[in-house]
Amino acid sequence: MIEKVLIANRGEIALRILRGCREMGIQTVAVHSTADVDAMHVRLADESVCIGPPPIKDSYLSIPAILSAATISNADAIHPGYGFLSENANFAEMVEEHGFTFIGPSPEHIRLMGDKIAAKAAVIEAGIPVVPGSDGAVRDVEHALEIGLEFGFPVIVKATAGGGGRGMKIAHTKDDIADAFNNARAEAQAAFGNGEVYIEKFLTTPRHIEVQILADNHGNVVHLGERDCSLQRRHQKVVEEAPSPALNDSQRAEIGEIVSKAIGKIGYRNVGTIEFLFEDGKFYFIEMNTRLQVEHPVTEAICGIDLVREMLRVASGAPLGFTQDDIKFSGHAIECRINAEHPETFMPSPGKIGDYHAPGGLGVRVDSGLYSGYTVPPFYDSMIAKLIVHGNNRNECMMRLRRALSEFVIDGLHTSIPLHQRLMEEPDVINGNYDIHWLERFVDAKDDSDGA
Amino acid sequence: MAKNPKTDIDENLVRKLASLMDETGLTEIEYGSDGVNIRVSKASNVSVAAPLAAAPAAAIAPATTEVPATDAGSHAGAVKSPMVGVVYTSSDPDSPDFIKVGDQVSEGQTLLLIEAMKVFNPILAPKAGRVTQIMVNSGSPVEFGEPMVIIE
Repeated sequence: MIEKVLIANRGEIALRILRGCREMGIQTVAVHSTADVDAMHVRLADESVCIGPPPIKDSYLSIPAILSAATISNADAIHPGYGFLSENANFAEMVEEHGFTFIGPSPEHIRLMGDKIAAKAAVIEAGIPVVPGSDGAVRDVEHALEIGLEFGFPVIVKATAGGGGRGMKIAHTKDDIADAFNNARAEAQAAFGNGEVYIEKFLTTPRHIEVQILADNHGNVVHLGERDCSLQRRHQKVVEEAPSPALNDSQRAEIGEIVSKAIGKIGYRNVGTIEFLFEDGKFYFIEMNTRLQVEHPVTEAICGIDLVREMLRVASGAPLGFTQDDIKFSGHAIECRINAEHPETFMPSPGKIGDYHAPGGLGVRVDSGLYSGYTVPPFYDSMIAKLIVHGNNRNECMMRLRRALSEFVIDGLHTSIPLHQRLMEEPDVINGNYDIHWLERFVDAKDDSDGA
Repeated sequence: MAKNPKTDIDENLVRKLASLMDETGLTEIEYGSDGVNIRVSKASNVSVAAPLAAAPAAAIAPATTEVPATDAGSHAGAVKSPMVGVVYTSSDPDSPDFIKVGDQVSEGQTLLLIEAMKVFNPILAPKAGRVTQIMVNSGSPVEFGEPMVIIE
């Protein structure tokens, strides 16, 4: 069993990982930049090591600093959280080369799924339905036009080294294809150092539905149901829920089975999420995330399974303690991502927190490192808290969520709590009647009606 | 490595504040420094108002000669570690230490070595001066920003 984990992350997820370790009697080492010296997880950790100045390239992305910290603290495993180095195959490889356990999938699978073209080919072979599109990389504008005409416009040009909503350009008609292709390549080259792109049919009103899987090192695989993450702004998720209001039990079981089989076939281990676009009753694979995701708590709420604990158990070599038949989905859960930003202009709002009161009660969970007197640093992601609410059914869950939002106090900064409150009053959200464009349209409409 | 100073309660300070209150007839005094606030009030007990009474993150293998990190860290002549690693005070176990307290050093002179990932990095004096404190022991780990030597 792993005895000491170095948490290579910050903010709410670092605290989440710390809690998982603590509950298993595992020692914790918190690495942090100088800006995070007062972070809650740093205060609670058994040991802490300052690894660099605020900029992430010199701290949270610094592989030498993190490996060095693991060496001097005698950690035996490293948990990468999400973002940062969590999907960096080189990092995972180096962690293992240095004799530490990387808490996550193998470097090979991280590498495979990090190359979006190779990932698509691998899942096609494993039997997962995909979005129709180019067979591999697109050579030039002529090739791009050919593909567009074959599959029908609109199409989307995507960077193979991208993912997470970055490096994508839409071509609505054949007249846009040259610009979309050239711009996507240029951006991909600049952002990821790799200008290779592929093209997919652009679905007009899909939902984003993803399936959580968990596998051990002994060939056992389970799926933990789906999450609906359609409410997004600029490709960033804002609200997530489980189960999806758009699926029935048989669709759920069917896609879960397809995904589990595929994961078993490729020999994947630890946690992972397969993301789909869902339109007209059909699933289309877009990408696989080889890490723990931000929205994992909604799955935990309906399954009663602690995903960080399972990651630690799997990484320690333990077999899964349950089979697919043991997994039961109960009730409904919704997560609201709370950002330190103005609820209407979305301008970032770092700063010192005055009064802080987190909502509580049955079925209410807050994952956050905030406390009264804490200063949210300006250098990092604006998400400062996650509010996750569970109810016996979707209606009860929404009532509870509205109540919890109204209780939540984060004084001293602007937060997106008012945005979430407005969303939970919208008929479309109440009815679960939205697709991945809904939130952008809602925000834009609000801007127009305000005359902003 | 940072030992959390917030949990050390300065008894003399509290006594001083309490007697000041008596002398002056004040009912409440609040005093703050280095991130620790103490409020002494007539009607209640002394409270150390650190943001939260959380268990402190401990130093990794604390050095045998400990100097409160924040005091040394804010010294103008403090030479702070630019990286995470293990510090050595000589080029090998059989050699003499690079410097000792009281030495005059010139700018660019090697003070210490820090080893990380099997690579030894020399730490050079940023300016000429006299070594007044050495806060690390050979073989002990250091974190980014940790004060190691003071040159005045």
